[in-house]
Amino acid sequence: MPHISARLTWNEEIGPGHHLMAAHAPQIAAAARPGQFLHVRVGPTHDPLLRRPFSVLRVDEASGQVWLLVKVVGRGTRLLAGMAPGAVLDVMGPLGCGFPEPPPGEEVALVAGGCGVAPLIFWADRIQTTFSHIRVVSILGAATEDVMVCWLDLAARSDEFYATTEDGSAGERGLASDALRGLLARRNFAAVYACGPRGMLKVCAELARGAGVPCFVAVEEAMACGVGACLGCVVPAAGGGYLRVCSDGPVFAAEALDWEALAT
Amino acid sequence: MRGEAGLPPVDMSVKVGPLALPSPVLVGSGTFGFGEEYAPYCDLARLGAIVTKAVTLRPREGNPGPRIWETAAGMLNAIGLQNPGLERFLAEKLPPLVAAGHVVIVNIAGHDVEEYVKLAGALDAAKGVAAIEVNVSCPNVSRGGIEFGRDPAVLGELVRAVRGATRLPLIVKLSPNVSDIVPLAAAAMEAGADALSLINTLLGMAIDARQRRPRLANVTGGLSGPAIKPVALRMVWQVWQALRPPIIGMGGIMTGEDAAEFMLAGAAAVAVGTANFVDPTSASRVAAELEDFCRGQRINHVSELTGGLQV
Ligand SMILES: Cc1cc2nc3c(=O)[nH]c(=O)nc-3n(C[C@H](O)[C@H](O)[C@H](O)COP(=O)(O)OP(=O)(O)OC[C@H]3O[C@@H](n4cnc5c(N)ncnc54)[C@H](O)[C@@H]3O)c2cc1C
Ligand SMILES: Cc1cc2nc3c(=O)[nH]c(=O)nc-3n(C[C@H](O)[C@H](O)[C@H](O)COP(=O)(O)O)c2cc1C
Ligand code: FES
Repeated sequence: MPHISARLTWNEEIGPGHHLMAAHAPQIAAAARPGQFLHVRVGPTHDPLLRRPFSVLRVDEASGQVWLLVKVVGRGTRLLAGMAPGAVLDVMGPLGCGFPEPPPGEEVALVAGGCGVAPLIFWADRIQTTFSHIRVVSILGAATEDVMVCWLDLAARSDEFYATTEDGSAGERGLASDALRGLLARRNFAAVYACGPRGMLKVCAELARGAGVPCFVAVEEAMACGVGACLGCVVPAAGGGYLRVCSDGPVFAAEALDWEALAT
Repeated sequence: MRGEAGLPPVDMSVKVGPLALPSPVLVGSGTFGFGEEYAPYCDLARLGAIVTKAVTLRPREGNPGPRIWETAAGMLNAIGLQNPGLERFLAEKLPPLVAAGHVVIVNIAGHDVEEYVKLAGALDAAKGVAAIEVNVSCPNVSRGGIEFGRDPAVLGELVRAVRGATRLPLIVKLSPNVSDIVPLAAAAMEAGADALSLINTLLGMAIDARQRRPRLANVTGGLSGPAIKPVALRMVWQVWQALRPPIIGMGGIMTGEDAAEFMLAGAAAVAVGTANFVDPTSASRVAAELEDFCRGQRINHVSELTGGLQV
């Protein structure tokens, strides 16, 4: 979990408001596991004050590079997306726990909504290299075709790939969870891994539970420390109490969370 | 202490009332967990003490999320005193801190006077607690939920009761959410406090205008960070002017020079809080920068700064 200065090596707008960025950070590239995140300072001044968390999209150990997907949603992400290669980033990471090893079985389903594609690209890559006997079946959902970013990165690391858009501009019309519903009815997945909006995660968790398939979700919540100290980033736990997204997660077994309280 | 070529080392040791500390730079309660989370980032050996997250008699779940929201040069929090409770604190959290040789100050909070008294008594009997910091920004359940720290008589009664339960150095952490801080500082000192921590977070709120909803599930929360530094400095200075008590100053300290400002206003020591979230090395960096500041100012002993403001 180093705290380092990393030089930005790549910043490309790959869709409206979506930036693919890379930084030279060999220690992080060597240590990061899929599902973990980096906690990034977006500027040197006191405003904005706090760091911003981003999932690791991919690492290249040979060149020591770490890739991120940054969607501009506010001031912090706008500042980050405005940085040119050569700029130096203050980065903590890799932080949090990653996706757990796939249970025994022949294939797993990866369900990504929007930016949630980032950690699943890394996970698909790792499954193909480390657990090569397991087939990866991926679903990527986006609102429209132009914000369906990184689909090729996910498709290239999957044995089967499905795309959905809400307006039908690419792939099937509908939601990623609709596609999961169809697949779960026909297939026997060893696990479902999901990352995306909370509503999508909730549906995936319900569908997987109904099919008796273990489900793991990567959750987002606003963070301060990123290391488990401030208790600011919590989500409600099943059976009461709270779990820290930064250090107990961001990946949780679906049954560990209180979905009723979470999705409101 | 690292002496630089030709310059004598700066003596960074300070006394906060009866409490002797190796450095004037501490961490703010609730911003450093129980120390373990920051060990990989921050040189804990440079700190004067580790101040724990508030410990309550029984475990507390804390508030629902969202619990934090970033504001201009600051942040709001409504954590709600989530902690594992006294028993688990004593069994699991305290021993490793003590074994590592850290000076440990335990922050305590309660619903009523009796809870504070029980906490203080148990910590008095525990091994390795250097001091108790009493968080009085908590609702007093037996007085209709008004914070203990808002009324001098209520505060005095609480501090006197806690004083009776422990011989450990007693630090009272005052709430800044009052119109005049001096009578509260006086009440705490008269009731037997050895030192005062100033300031806790300022009550605030943030709104999502489009959704017409509060940003925090708790609606209101405590404001911290650089945004509150001027208020904190003013309160430290007012209390120092009136009473000259031993003060631990905090509120938006990001650099060694910020720490020096608090000491000049009257603080004997300082605590780094929100800055830890921004830069995980903050606490040890502030200590190093404060030492450099003293060296640059030809100050041999850091405590010479305390109350040195020239008005
Ligand atoms: C574990 C994790 C992984 C993430 N991975 C990615 C990723 O790969 N790509 C990507 O584009 N985004 C990702 N996010 C979301 C990203 O952190 C937020 O979009 C970003 O913090 C927004 O900052 P802002 O200043 O632009 O937005 P603002 O809305 O102005 O931010 C205000 C405050 O809210 C926080 N905040 C707002 N939205 C979120 C959110 N969804 N999650 C957490 N904090 C939020 C900000 O950090 C900031 O403190 C991830 C979040 C988490 C927790
Ligand atoms: C997330 C968070 C949690 C806190 N928890 C406590 C606490 O449990 N007890 C306490 O006395 N103060 C608590 N505080 C207050 C800080 O210790 C400190 O007094 C305040 O934040 C001002 O300092 P700063 O601006 O450097 O953070 C907390 C502050 C923050 C930001
Ligand atoms: S962000 Fe501080 S505990 Fe998770």
